[in-house]
Amino acid sequence: MPEKDGKDPTGAPLRRPREKGRGKKILLSILRPLKAGLWLSLVAFPLVTFKFEAETRQAHFLPERIPLLLLICFGAAVAFDGLGWLKKAFGPGKRAGGILESPPEGLNRPRLSWVNRLLKSRFFKPASGVLLIFLAVLPFISSPYGVNVYITALIYITLGLGLNIVVGVSGLLNLGYVAFYAVGAYTYAILNAQFGLSFWVCLPLGALSATLLGFILGLPLLRVSGDYLAIVTLGFGEITRLVLTNIAITNGPRGIANIPPPSLFGFDLNQSVKPFLLKLGLIHSRTDLDKVLIYLIILMAAILTVAAVHRLENSRLGRAWLALREDETACQAVGVNRAGAKLTAFTLGSTWAGLAGVVFASQISFINPQSFTFMQSVMILSIVVLGGMGSIPGVVCGAVILILLPEYLRFFADYRMLLFGLLMVVMMVFRPEGLIKSARYQHIYRAPKAGEGDPSDSASGK
Amino acid sequence: MTSAEPLDKTVLELKDVRASYGNIEALKGVSLTVQAGEIIALLGANGAGKSSALKVTTGLLPPTGGSVRFSGRETKGERTERLVKRGLVMVPEGRRIFPALTVKENLLMGAYFRKDKQEIRRDQEWLLDLFPALASRAGQDGGTLSGGEQQMLAIARGLMGRPILLLLDEPSLGLAPKIIRGIFQTIGEINRTRGTAILLVEQNARLALTASARAYIMTTGRITAEGPSKELLENEEVKKAYLGG
Repeated sequence: MPEKDGKDPTGAPLRRPREKGRGKKILLSILRPLKAGLWLSLVAFPLVTFKFEAETRQAHFLPERIPLLLLICFGAAVAFDGLGWLKKAFGPGKRAGGILESPPEGLNRPRLSWVNRLLKSRFFKPASGVLLIFLAVLPFISSPYGVNVYITALIYITLGLGLNIVVGVSGLLNLGYVAFYAVGAYTYAILNAQFGLSFWVCLPLGALSATLLGFILGLPLLRVSGDYLAIVTLGFGEITRLVLTNIAITNGPRGIANIPPPSLFGFDLNQSVKPFLLKLGLIHSRTDLDKVLIYLIILMAAILTVAAVHRLENSRLGRAWLALREDETACQAVGVNRAGAKLTAFTLGSTWAGLAGVVFASQISFINPQSFTFMQSVMILSIVVLGGMGSIPGVVCGAVILILLPEYLRFFADYRMLLFGLLMVVMMVFRPEGLIKSARYQHIYRAPKAGEGDPSDSASGK
Repeated sequence: MTSAEPLDKTVLELKDVRASYGNIEALKGVSLTVQAGEIIALLGANGAGKSSALKVTTGLLPPTGGSVRFSGRETKGERTERLVKRGLVMVPEGRRIFPALTVKENLLMGAYFRKDKQEIRRDQEWLLDLFPALASRAGQDGGTLSGGEQQMLAIARGLMGRPILLLLDEPSLGLAPKIIRGIFQTIGEINRTRGTAILLVEQNARLALTASARAYIMTTGRITAEGPSKELLENEEVKKAYLGG
């Protein structure tokens, strides 16, 4: 082996000799996962090998688990290392840092992903029409269980799109989003239990109260940004849950039961309408019309949300949000009221959570603070990140995957969180922009390969 | 502090302005004026306080003493975005365009506070005419532009706000001489055709003195020299300190 500081035989002062580099590389590539595995097993050692028995208050050491521990830890380390290698081999091209040189003319056209191409094509309108009819018919032909799952997925689509305004478009990391969801749900539950207000009255009221809360909480939040904002919103989410657990009107941890489903013009659907439809042979005998109605309501809400968010994103305000995420100082320089723009994003984002909350309460008819834990916030955030920040089809896709997948992969139920984590890691390595990139992020410049000619600065002299 | 005095041609007036970051006093009494339609250069080495002077002017840094008047009115306590509406627009240092917005959207952001859609469109066309390099990339993301194009975009974005006074913070930073010359030519053209007053903050003293009518030179928080740019170009001390002998 050559000396560590050996002079390069070719005379190039900054480049190391190749053969030495290669030997070292191989050694490193072996050592790296070993080190990671060792670290991982040290961390996991007490968790795996000790068992604490609550009854006897004694800890037992289980040495027979050590081989398993080592196997898992080193296996994971090697697998993770392999992931890095895979990324190098198959992952997306590296994004050039800093200021990019002008790409050659041929690269100016954005390369849209197939979803975004579809959204812009002439097939979009007929295709969405067909999809809409299918979605409208779906609850009548699926099992009650299926309808329930679809409702949940649609609720999360609405939530994801709402959070997308805050996190994806405006870049304000909100880890307490579930609080607004809870406020919507509790608004319906309490107003119905105390004053007998119907679903239809509570739907706008729930959205309104979440909006109002978003506004009030947004005011102090504007003083912090970045990581601090995330921490404050996280704390706020927890405070909301604790308040709900500890005040009388919410019935504390026991929650509120018997929340009625929405009614349609005062009819009890399952009593009066169902026999009629059954006679016509339009529905299955097991179909729960209340749930079908909720499904249709949340479907409408989700579609309206998509339309509203789409309009918002391409509006003057939406541009200001995007700009705010990019560069706050530059925003001030062009006269954007930073506080105002942030506050509207935060407030409008909360509105959708309140709306979804009311539907959620009517769907499961019983809510307690346990329905609104931090994990829910994480779930909604995962939908946005997995789907693609700032991308509407991405968020829809993310919600469908993260809600439907666990339902159909029941045998993985115990490892759900583990799989989630793994999925997130894989996503961050291979597609950090999300499943469906926002059409805005499609202008990734790939450096031309050697021999294709250098990208000359076409700015000069023009 | 009322507008009792007649509206004179002074666009910006800093009078004995002091400002500090904690215990460190960055501005120790800075006075300067910009008349309508003038190009003024503000020169100085690193840490002389040029950027602090700009920050005080735009309301980003509250002054601890002295007064700042913009188009005849005290700016004390006025928020940056209000000043932008009044016609005081800054093109920040280091370009700072919005990389994920297209060139057109960047321009629209510059007209954020304006509601006159027709006029906005007209200004947009004018600026794309003025910077042909941007016109060919109008639909492209700002982040994909070259350094020179980004600087042009930043200036164009500032002009979309129809400023009375445009503050340019180090427009030559990190650009090739050829591109800098082009940009400075355009700055002069804007000043001539639109009558926009320009306060040019630069480290590149020779360039700034050639482009401007008058200049101020700052050293450690104070204005140490001022006068017509031509005279400063000939001044022995200035030559020694800022023009490399």
